[in-house]
Amino acid sequence: MIDPYYLQQLAIGLSLGMTYALMAIGFTLIFGVLNVVNFAHGEIYTLGAFAGLVVISATAPPVVAVIFAVLAAGALAGFSLERLAFKPFRRFTDEASLKSRAMRESTLLSSLAVSIVAREALELLFGSQMRSAPAEYLINTPVRVGPVILVTGDFIIFGVAAVMLVGLQYLLTRTRAGLAIRAVSNNPLGAKYVGIDTDRTIILTFVVGSMMGAAAGILMGLYYGAVFPAMGFVPGIKAFVAMVMGGLSSIPGAVICALILGVSESMATTFVSSGWSDMVAYGFLILTLVFFPNGLFGARRERV
Amino acid sequence: MNVSDLTAPGQTPSGLTAPDRRRGWILPALVALAVFVALPAALAAFDRGYFYQIANLALIFVLLSASMHLVTGVAGLLHLGHAAFYGVGAYTAALMTSKLGLGFTVTLPASGLVAAAVAFLVALPTMRLVSIYFAVATLAIGQMLYLVMLNWVEFTKGPNGVIVTKGFELFGFGLSGRIAAYYTVAVVVTLCVVAIGRLSHSYYGNALRSIREDDQCADAMGVRTVRLKMEAFTLSAFFAGVAGALWAHMTGYISPGDFKFSESILILAMVVVGGLGSLPGAVIGALLLILLPEGLRGLGDFRNVMVGLVMFLSILLLPKGLLGEVSALGLVRRQFGAAWRRTAGGEGIGWR
Amino acid sequence: MTFRRLALATVAAAAFAAPALAADTVKLGYQLPLTGDTAQYGQDFRKAAEIALDEFNAAGKPFKVEIVFEDSRSDAKEGTNIARKFVDDKAIVGVLGDFTSGVSMASAQVYKEAGLAQLSQTASHPDYTKISKYQFRNIATQAQEGPYNAQWMASKGYKNVAVIAEQTDWGQSVVSGYSEAVKAGGGTVAFSEFFNRGLKDYRSLISKIERAKPDAIYTGFFYEDGAQFLKQLQQLGVKTPVYSTSAAYSPKLIELAGDAAEGVRLTSNFLPTDPAPNVQHFVTEWKKRSADAVPGQFPAQAYDAVRIMLAAVEKAQPNPTREKVRDALAQTTDFPGVTGKTTFNAEREPVKELVKVEVKGGAFVPVAE
Repeated sequence: MIDPYYLQQLAIGLSLGMTYALMAIGFTLIFGVLNVVNFAHGEIYTLGAFAGLVVISATAPPVVAVIFAVLAAGALAGFSLERLAFKPFRRFTDEASLKSRAMRESTLLSSLAVSIVAREALELLFGSQMRSAPAEYLINTPVRVGPVILVTGDFIIFGVAAVMLVGLQYLLTRTRAGLAIRAVSNNPLGAKYVGIDTDRTIILTFVVGSMMGAAAGILMGLYYGAVFPAMGFVPGIKAFVAMVMGGLSSIPGAVICALILGVSESMATTFVSSGWSDMVAYGFLILTLVFFPNGLFGARRERV
Repeated sequence: MNVSDLTAPGQTPSGLTAPDRRRGWILPALVALAVFVALPAALAAFDRGYFYQIANLALIFVLLSASMHLVTGVAGLLHLGHAAFYGVGAYTAALMTSKLGLGFTVTLPASGLVAAAVAFLVALPTMRLVSIYFAVATLAIGQMLYLVMLNWVEFTKGPNGVIVTKGFELFGFGLSGRIAAYYTVAVVVTLCVVAIGRLSHSYYGNALRSIREDDQCADAMGVRTVRLKMEAFTLSAFFAGVAGALWAHMTGYISPGDFKFSESILILAMVVVGGLGSLPGAVIGALLLILLPEGLRGLGDFRNVMVGLVMFLSILLLPKGLLGEVSALGLVRRQFGAAWRRTAGGEGIGWR
Repeated sequence: MTFRRLALATVAAAAFAAPALAADTVKLGYQLPLTGDTAQYGQDFRKAAEIALDEFNAAGKPFKVEIVFEDSRSDAKEGTNIARKFVDDKAIVGVLGDFTSGVSMASAQVYKEAGLAQLSQTASHPDYTKISKYQFRNIATQAQEGPYNAQWMASKGYKNVAVIAEQTDWGQSVVSGYSEAVKAGGGTVAFSEFFNRGLKDYRSLISKIERAKPDAIYTGFFYEDGAQFLKQLQQLGVKTPVYSTSAAYSPKLIELAGDAAEGVRLTSNFLPTDPAPNVQHFVTEWKKRSADAVPGQFPAQAYDAVRIMLAAVEKAQPNPTREKVRDALAQTTDFPGVTGKTTFNAEREPVKELVKVEVKGGAFVPVAE
């Protein structure tokens, strides 16, 4: 019989991994379409949480209304983010600019600059302190499953992540819009030549990805009962790591790697001091990359 | 970026005429004049420690930004853990001073060497990675080094930080006065930046650029890409380590918080805002992002939003940087190096 | 290069354009994080300092005091820049801040060299006041708080304890100050560990603590981390009693943790419910400026720090110099503040009177045991 202690740690690790996965899904989707890291995804997550909190504290609506408000905020944020930070860089269509690395890193940095402005503005508006939603909205009532204690939020997050994953797979593989997204992500120029409206496809991707980010934000806010302007930073890094570890192109891969990260962190806490547990997660990443230079689930690509 | 870009419009390869070459010393002389005469004179005239402090800090970040330029700008490897090597250098200097009682003369080169050695060790398994995989590997390396600084309390004193008891000195001769400290920083930074300039504007730099443009093609042409990447990574860590030693001896107290992830991002922002692949751009970017937050202090709590906005607008309007690579290459090669090699007959044969 | 000169010239022009001060105005500097991740603390300190300053200036003293607030973002780079700026301003005779020990200590190197007294309301690094005779602080050190709590817990019969703290210089001193006292008192420390500040999920750590089966848990955290820890402790159904330091003493702890905070015991030297007139005055003023919120431990420490500094400036009259202010600060004895009487000992450390507090029915209630 396994020591219940390890079962508990495994459960905690899985639930931690789910929280990373929730963010990694939208992140990977957006990365896939432009091949550019979206540094502002963490701020979308924060915005989602704040939008939910504002709605809750203003009118105390039913949960469904909160979800819709947050999704709307996420869609709006994703749309404006794309218009502000990504669209302007597609105005250069000459070959030199398309191939230029300076241009690509500029896009990355413009999302970073937008994220700085967004975070500082949130700090000015709401202050840096943690805020909590009213207790009836929180999703952290303990639930005992055999020898393991979880909270309701763990199941909700699991459900939401599963729905997101399945829905996204359906969207990407079964619908025309999804086909367009995959075409643009594979070869933007080629997609343009066969008549796909790349601009609209990119906006669609940002809107869908950002809605998922915002939903993740409010879920996490209610799960931990803490909403603050810097809340998107750590999960953002973890989602980025999970995405690369999973091989960039694979959303299920990113989810699995997020789970691996979560479990390795919580298991590591057993053997080393809690402060070192991130070391294990990053060590795991390096090891993965040494043996699988294209990530665990990455498509085979020629490399040097 | 292709070859026709490098020889920008109106400047044919053999177009460097005699006046161009004669002009070659003017700009470097002006820059040297500004750094070693005009600025110290202005500082001495104001005689305010605040300005000295900002000047020194800006110079240190010029070096950090220039060192990142070598790996991210020239070799095209997105580096997300640069601050950690800056930290390794600073910790080397601080621990050598506090534990062994060594002075700046020893700790300065030692910091660079230790940072380079650490970089070399972590580069061994990871340098075969390409593109974003490389970036996330450097992120992990940076975070791991930060965690070591924070959590290995017995050795690094962890979050307690280290007090650096000695200021700048050269072979026991103290250089801790304001103007002496400024000159120490300025001389070290200038030497390093010149060295980085020579590295990036040479056949060696061109080989690194070839990796950036197309690593498979470069490999096929016989460029040893993995080895070159390791060299660029290690060299840039060396210069970051030197900057760390300067910071440690300048402030007198360091703690892990000075070298966290956001510092790496700050340095990356300097390189990109200035112009990826352009050394003068990296210098300008560093000056901008250090001076701007200080200059905007009058705005109160609003200033960081302004910094973000300025950064955003500069990237939006000049996506190739404030001083992009193409113009920077022209500037550097014409004004600094006279690097166009020609045959005895005056016919140009290529960049040195 | 011209750019830099231009920028410097602009900065210089701005500095000179500052309005000339009347001769009977004394200036103080206050460096604190007004933006960034720790801005909530800095904003509170500014509010507390403004309360203290307004009363001082309204009291009809023969001179006025002005405080220059500068934002350090809890960043050592900016902290040292500000320190240089304050040192340059010859009208500034004393400096308050910074918030974190790291920034305070980096800035302290500048103040040490320039001979300007620095009084931090929160810097808790054991070596901070050892830097030079110019460093003061107004926070109970863990060398005092640790043994006090150890004794309190021992009196309740907890012999086998666990201790966790955030991985900062302060957390280090929490663990060492407390563990030494426990061992000296014949108890055992079953578990001792640090976590990174801002950790969200403590459940792994809690499971690990529980495996060591301690009688009680002693914790070193601020209210944000504390609220997360307590909530997750409750989620996992752990009933082990929790003790903490004065740093967690904030109404925000109860606000964020809800009924999970119930039963937590901690020490403090400030009680908003204390009927003493100066405490009530501070609490009313604070409520007026912050939508009826009640101040916690840190704003109270900042309020007292500013008032101690103001008293020193007054004592140094007429014509206060930096050296005179420092000497006046060092002589501070039995200063009647809202955090109790403050006396600086020879090491410029305050000796504080601690009170035992327990969370009961959603409020901090002093206990006498």
